[in-house]
Amino acid sequence: MPDNIVLETRNISKSYRISGENSLFAKTFQAVSDVSVAVRQGETFGIVGESGCGKSTMARLMMCLEKPDAGEIYLQGQRIDNLSETQRRRLRPRFQMVFQDSGSSLNPRKRVQDILREPMLYHRIGDQKQVDSRVEELLDMVGLPVAMKRRYPHEFSGGQRQRVCIARALSLNPDVIVLDEPVSALDVSVQAQILNLLRDLQQNLHLTYVFIGHGLGAVHYISHQIAVMYMGRVVEMGPSDTLFDHPAHPYTKALLDAAPVADDTLRGRERTVMAEEIGDQPSDSGCPLLPRCPYAQEGCRSRGLALFETQGRLTACDRMLEG
Amino acid sequence: MEPLLQIQDLEITFGRGAQAARTASGVSFSVYPGEILCVVGESGSGKSITALSILGLLSRQGRVTGGHIYWQGRDLLTLPQKRLDQLRGTEISMIFQDIMYSLNPVLTIGLQMTEGMRRHLKMSAGDARRRAIELLTHTGIRDADQVMKKYPHMLSGGMRQRVMIAMALACRPKLLIADEPTTALDVTIQLQIMQLLRQLRDETGMAVLLITHDLGVAAEMADRGVVMYAGQCVEEAPIHDLLFHPAHAYTQALLQAVPGLHDSRDKRLYSIPGHVPEVYGDLTGCRYAARCPRGAECPHRMQDQMREVAPGHLSRCMNEGGMADA
Repeated sequence: MPDNIVLETRNISKSYRISGENSLFAKTFQAVSDVSVAVRQGETFGIVGESGCGKSTMARLMMCLEKPDAGEIYLQGQRIDNLSETQRRRLRPRFQMVFQDSGSSLNPRKRVQDILREPMLYHRIGDQKQVDSRVEELLDMVGLPVAMKRRYPHEFSGGQRQRVCIARALSLNPDVIVLDEPVSALDVSVQAQILNLLRDLQQNLHLTYVFIGHGLGAVHYISHQIAVMYMGRVVEMGPSDTLFDHPAHPYTKALLDAAPVADDTLRGRERTVMAEEIGDQPSDSGCPLLPRCPYAQEGCRSRGLALFETQGRLTACDRMLEG
Repeated sequence: MEPLLQIQDLEITFGRGAQAARTASGVSFSVYPGEILCVVGESGSGKSITALSILGLLSRQGRVTGGHIYWQGRDLLTLPQKRLDQLRGTEISMIFQDIMYSLNPVLTIGLQMTEGMRRHLKMSAGDARRRAIELLTHTGIRDADQVMKKYPHMLSGGMRQRVMIAMALACRPKLLIADEPTTALDVTIQLQIMQLLRQLRDETGMAVLLITHDLGVAAEMADRGVVMYAGQCVEEAPIHDLLFHPAHAYTQALLQAVPGLHDSRDKRLYSIPGHVPEVYGDLTGCRYAARCPRGAECPHRMQDQMREVAPGHLSRCMNEGGMADA
């Protein structure tokens, strides 16, 4: 393994039981199947996909908030998916998370300074004085006035609260920060502020991010590498510009074509359109997009799901690169 | 051409006494027959309450405290409740963002589809059922007669929104108000719903008032656009002019704050400092001044009137220099 890889998953899968725990009719939902990704030091790894594609499950698996059914996860070469609770707690300062809903991820009864102190006190980093000066440094880093440290979360706007969440994630100097839809709940004007902040912090502190989102523009703006997920699988993965400028997979193309663009002259452009979802999970064999794909052929039914390399990216299908 | 709907200096107040907040004021725009007008704004801009006030659907705390809403010349604000009831669903229909809460979870789609037709059009059960199936098929639902027997939770989000649209069209309205109809949907489904709405407009000639926070959606759908900020309409123009020749500093900033799919990633995103003011009832002058790059130096900051920039293009701000100096 090249040593600049910080976080890696190898063939991880996760399924959930739905409709009745022990009943005869229990069904399982395959949230993530056989996903291998590698996140490089100092880069942002973006994961995009529509609801239910498994991107948030990926975030939870990478953070060890869930145990994979199969496969392995490594943090700087150390396997982390099979750790005991105590071992994992000891490692926690090295990987941190920011959630979509900043309102519910901050304790409403604590002042911001106490919210930011807590991780350092818990992990016994520094004495009281060092912790206090670190709190001020963190607020400054995320662009909040230090005078706001005595305020409660409800006294902040959504964008400011997300800044507090980012400051908290930074407090322990983590190697990786997993950001699960950090800007999706924010207004456009505030979204841009947070995206710029994340980029500045990455440059100054050489941070590594995993950025989960459904807004394609935002994911492209912040990510160096992007994985597109559909029904629990990565369908295409590679450098952001390669993927967005020359997608190989029809699903990547359809996602890009569906994203509304602020240009009315492009309304009539030719697009790849996926048919509406049928709802049922397809069988294990063949491409999961088969019922929706406009390019589906007989051959797709027997086609493997494995990713192969072509023109600088990994993809499960290269239909869009052909003539 | 006479406008179908004409909103004039609408003012909406929430709360009373010292807590009163004027969440919309100086809202004026018109919807003409057959056009798609998009009202674009961020949260708190007043776009949704404006839409709700048209059909008298404001919650009890909110009330219209000024202005007029004319529907084909009649003021809806002074219309008796009974007349308004007759108008709702027949001449003006509305669909919402929250597709789950807009359908009754314990009634079948069929029952909910036919209810309005039987009430407003006095159709028989059989006729209403036939028309419902026709409408569902028309909105792109396969096996419409099977879907009629289902309950809302059995349908996907896109299907539910199609059912809502079919219901809204049941009585052939002249105006469809759509409040963020695609915000809760995935992008691939969003595209299908946007295309469906445009197709239905082309076929039936109904007008659509579309409320959205996404300039991209407006670009895909609208004939004309209105931008709202802090409870006011700040700019109104044909959609192409709005996107390519915006006059208001806020519209210009919004357009630059959205990362494009093929933009160079080295370019820094323009971000508007601060956030939308929370209490803006008594602000005088430009409400965007605190966040505007020109701010205090702006010669027009105390002017607060919509002025004509070009034919059909109105703006409260004349930022001729564009964002080059920002």
